[in-house]
Amino acid sequence: MSNNSNVKFRFNNSELWGGLIGLGLGLFVIRSGLNLKLGTINDPGSGYVLFYTGILMCLFAASIIIASLTEGGPTFGSRWENARWTKPLIVIASLTAFAFSLDTFGFLLSSIPLMVLLLRLIDPVRWSLAIPIAVIAPLGMWWILKRLLLIQLPSGIFEIG
Amino acid sequence: MDTIINVAHGFGIALLPVNLVYCFIGVFIGTLVGVLPGIGPISAMSLLLPVTLSGTPESGIIMMAGIYYGSMYGGSTTSILVNIPGEAASVVTCIDGHQMAKQGRAGPALGISAFGSFIAGTFALIALMLVAPSLASVAIAFGPADYFSLMALGLVVLTFLTQGSMAKALLMACIGIVLGLIGLDSITAQPRLTFGRIELIDGIGLVPVVMGLFGVAEVLLNTEHIIKRDIINAKITQLFPSKEDWKASTGPVARGTVLGFFLGILPGGGAVISSFASYALEKRLSKTPERFGNGAIEGVAGPEAANNAAAGGAFIPLMTLGIPPNVVMALLLGAFVIHGLQPGPLLITQNPGLFWGIVASMYIGNLMLLVLNLPLIGMWVQLLKLPYNILFPLIILFTIIGVYCSSNNVFDVYVMIAFGVIGYFMRKLGYEPAPLVLAFVLGPMLENNLRKSLILSQGDLMTFVTRPISATCLALAVVLLVGPLLPSLRKKRELVALDEGV
Repeated sequence: MSNNSNVKFRFNNSELWGGLIGLGLGLFVIRSGLNLKLGTINDPGSGYVLFYTGILMCLFAASIIIASLTEGGPTFGSRWENARWTKPLIVIASLTAFAFSLDTFGFLLSSIPLMVLLLRLIDPVRWSLAIPIAVIAPLGMWWILKRLLLIQLPSGIFEIG
Repeated sequence: MDTIINVAHGFGIALLPVNLVYCFIGVFIGTLVGVLPGIGPISAMSLLLPVTLSGTPESGIIMMAGIYYGSMYGGSTTSILVNIPGEAASVVTCIDGHQMAKQGRAGPALGISAFGSFIAGTFALIALMLVAPSLASVAIAFGPADYFSLMALGLVVLTFLTQGSMAKALLMACIGIVLGLIGLDSITAQPRLTFGRIELIDGIGLVPVVMGLFGVAEVLLNTEHIIKRDIINAKITQLFPSKEDWKASTGPVARGTVLGFFLGILPGGGAVISSFASYALEKRLSKTPERFGNGAIEGVAGPEAANNAAAGGAFIPLMTLGIPPNVVMALLLGAFVIHGLQPGPLLITQNPGLFWGIVASMYIGNLMLLVLNLPLIGMWVQLLKLPYNILFPLIILFTIIGVYCSSNNVFDVYVMIAFGVIGYFMRKLGYEPAPLVLAFVLGPMLENNLRKSLILSQGDLMTFVTRPISATCLALAVVLLVGPLLPSLRKKRELVALDEGV
């Protein structure tokens, strides 16, 4: 059957997966709207707009899916072709680690290692410059915020900062 | 006569030393972010939104506005000297501006860009002074149905102008509305999509969303490639354009100003679309269109005037209707809301000092920008040499601190990082964040006005088509939604599609 059709189904199609995520989100929004109660057209409830927005999301996502299946679309690999994909990955990993450590270790103990990582791993800055910047920038910002603007940054379990 | 008294009152406020300092900081940072490719006015404004809390509403909004129109000036410097647009509205300036610089005419290109911007900025302000109060008095008669339709039109226009698939842009706008509705329902006080998290009861903050989608995501995207810069190193002379240059540029500046101002007013329009439209218009009107792309001064003067006039025009819907026509104005709306102010038809009458103070400060800001961008051009050229491997980590640090300071809440830092990662993947998969942000801001207002109009009309949907303003807006929105199905209109849409929707 598929031999007679011009449509070539490819699952390594980033457009298709984008559309599927949109569809999933749309269905979730519809369900949330229903749970919140739609109300009536004379007196719309809390879920009224959510429900109809969810329906629109599903329609737009469906049109993206249909277009991806009929017209095809770029693969995930081609989206990152000729790009240094490891660099954003390193930044994302560093930021995630920072997010987890911020509450526990506080702003100073988390942001100095973050700065060192970013300065050394994006496009390596020489150590003699990276270390002073990584220390002075967070410390300077902490001092300005704490002493001048009286804003307390998270100090963590060691209460540093 | 009233206008003159109000303008004088406005200057009295704008000339206060503290407001002059904020105005200078705003235009200076605006020029800075305009000059530096990779950081736009949206990132800078979201970064500085928490700072506005420390001063009076006038000071904060004066600074934020300064960043916006300042970036329009700064963006042209990078376009002309490096051939990389400093921000989206300066893309067109690269075409002829950099060619002029290569031919040893960087001075006149920078000069006409600054003078054109100044003339257009001044015109836009005068028009703003004249149009805004009259429109505000008309807007008082707007009902919830009109507001709903106007906001729906704004969202549709922005999705129409956004680069790539319109279905994707509309999906983004819907997600933005849903994100905007997180938190307590304003009518029933019922929590929505909070997943039991107390931090979500007040909803997601605008600052972490915007900083994540535009600040962090932008850095992530920029780290993928080594940024190479071809800076014109020759000494920049003759910043004051010659008589011939003025003769060639007068028409384009005048046309660009009028065109930019009106395109700036339209919901969803803005500086980017007006600069492209002005370039296309000048090329079409020129007797020698073949010069365009090879260093025609008209190709710099028109678009630069247009994007500055649009920046001024964009204040009209925000100040008079309370509806931000683009993402930058949505951030400015955020600054108003932080100070407990609601822009709209009553702003001019209830807070005349604020309105006229902002308008007067924009004129003073334009004068400051002329000084910053012409005699101090050497300083900006030096700044272009700042290495990105140092700049990007610093931007990330500032965004983290900026987000934390806006709410004193670590949760917002998590939200920003999450939106940074989401924003990066969105951009990689061809989903633009601008419709999401505008819908995020408009979402609660859109819902409120829809529910109010349905309650007031007792569920009669005809209320949206019997009111002339509402009917016109909805008809335009339908045309734009259905239009891309026609091949000719789809081609036009692809030509004018925006990069960032600002």
